[in-house]
Amino acid sequence: MIEESYQVNTGSFSGPLDLLLHLIRRKKMDILNISIHEITAEYLGYLEHLQGIDPSREGDFLMTAATLIYLKSRSLLPRLEAEDGEEASPEQEFLHTLIEYDKIQKISGLLREMEEEELLFWSRDRFEEDFGEVEYDLKEVSSFQLAEVFYHILRKKEQEDLRVVPAKEYSMEEKRSEILQIIRREGYLNFNEYIRDCRSLVEIIITLFCILEIVKQKAATAVQKTRFGTISVFKRES
Amino acid sequence: MNRPDRPRDLKETFLETARLEALLFTSREPVKPESILDYLNIDIDRLETILEELNRKYDAGSSGILIKKTGGGLQLVTHPGLHEDLKEFYSIRRTSRLHIASLETLAIIAYRQPTTIAEISRMRNVNSVSPVKNLLQKKLIRITGRKKVPGLPALYATTREFLLYFGLNDLSELPSLEELTEMFEEKEQPSLFKN
Repeated sequence: MIEESYQVNTGSFSGPLDLLLHLIRRKKMDILNISIHEITAEYLGYLEHLQGIDPSREGDFLMTAATLIYLKSRSLLPRLEAEDGEEASPEQEFLHTLIEYDKIQKISGLLREMEEEELLFWSRDRFEEDFGEVEYDLKEVSSFQLAEVFYHILRKKEQEDLRVVPAKEYSMEEKRSEILQIIRREGYLNFNEYIRDCRSLVEIIITLFCILEIVKQKAATAVQKTRFGTISVFKRES
Repeated sequence: MNRPDRPRDLKETFLETARLEALLFTSREPVKPESILDYLNIDIDRLETILEELNRKYDAGSSGILIKKTGGGLQLVTHPGLHEDLKEFYSIRRTSRLHIASLETLAIIAYRQPTTIAEISRMRNVNSVSPVKNLLQKKLIRITGRKKVPGLPALYATTREFLLYFGLNDLSELPSLEELTEMFEEKEQPSLFKN
């Protein structure tokens, strides 16, 4: 015979309430009439026997333990009459959750029976599900699957360890006044020489745009002596 | 030339029955009655007669397949008595069933739909994101919209695949909460010592 032991891990329970109900049933207690003292001790005893609790995995179990301890401590303290207003007390709330959960478990049991029964019938679609790699038709892709794929793409992107190279932003405004300043100071601007110091193609393009703009506004004259030769921008005498 | 394996021509009197049989045989999912009526161009009474004819063939205890009413339609499925047999032929060791956490989550969604993950987690006292994800992947639930509360959480409801999976024609075939209470009250004693 297998001894009933505490050495079951929480993985065999679907959650803290599952464990709690298991303990209540083992104690042959009535849900409606559970002894908080007794069951809290049982529950904590169970958790203690777990070898090193992983809070990320057993967090929900600890949370329920905290609730039980809270309820137990409340039962030990004298209570003011006024406290019992229209709002449900934490005891009632917890009991309600437990009763509701008991129903859920029973419905789950019912669904399990239905599932077992249905699995006996083999249909074409089930057949395809169980074997063979199903190639989904486009219409069969749900928005959830789409979102899931997108999520995985994003995750993949994250892992690519891309470095961000900050781009220098050139404003037409700044470039324009810079060019005008040079013309005013030097009397002219040699386009080819000027762009030699430019850091990017974008900057060169912006420079050209600014020159065109300045010429259009008749603030300067641009001269190109030979084809592909340099463009000289002269100050225009007004 | 006479080819021996060529089937005989269909008899005129059984043409409709044969057409329905072929339709159910080729369909991957249950065929809705409306589609059948439309396809055969007959009325519902005639369909009942044809179904009777077909079932006479299948229900005689000599057929490996039968017609099942599921998911709001008609489907050809294998006889439940052949389950183990088929498993052996296809070398399937065990039939995959839903994990208990998924089953609980599904139970809540089925009776509370549409509902949110927060509500499910609250009722189970355990974070229920992964069972919800599992059920979404299995297409047993879907997102129907967003709840108009802060954070606009997604609302989940059951799908047609859910009905099919549990052999239901529509949600009303699930026992009502009142019926459940009665059922559970009756067998309260023995179920106490389950597990």
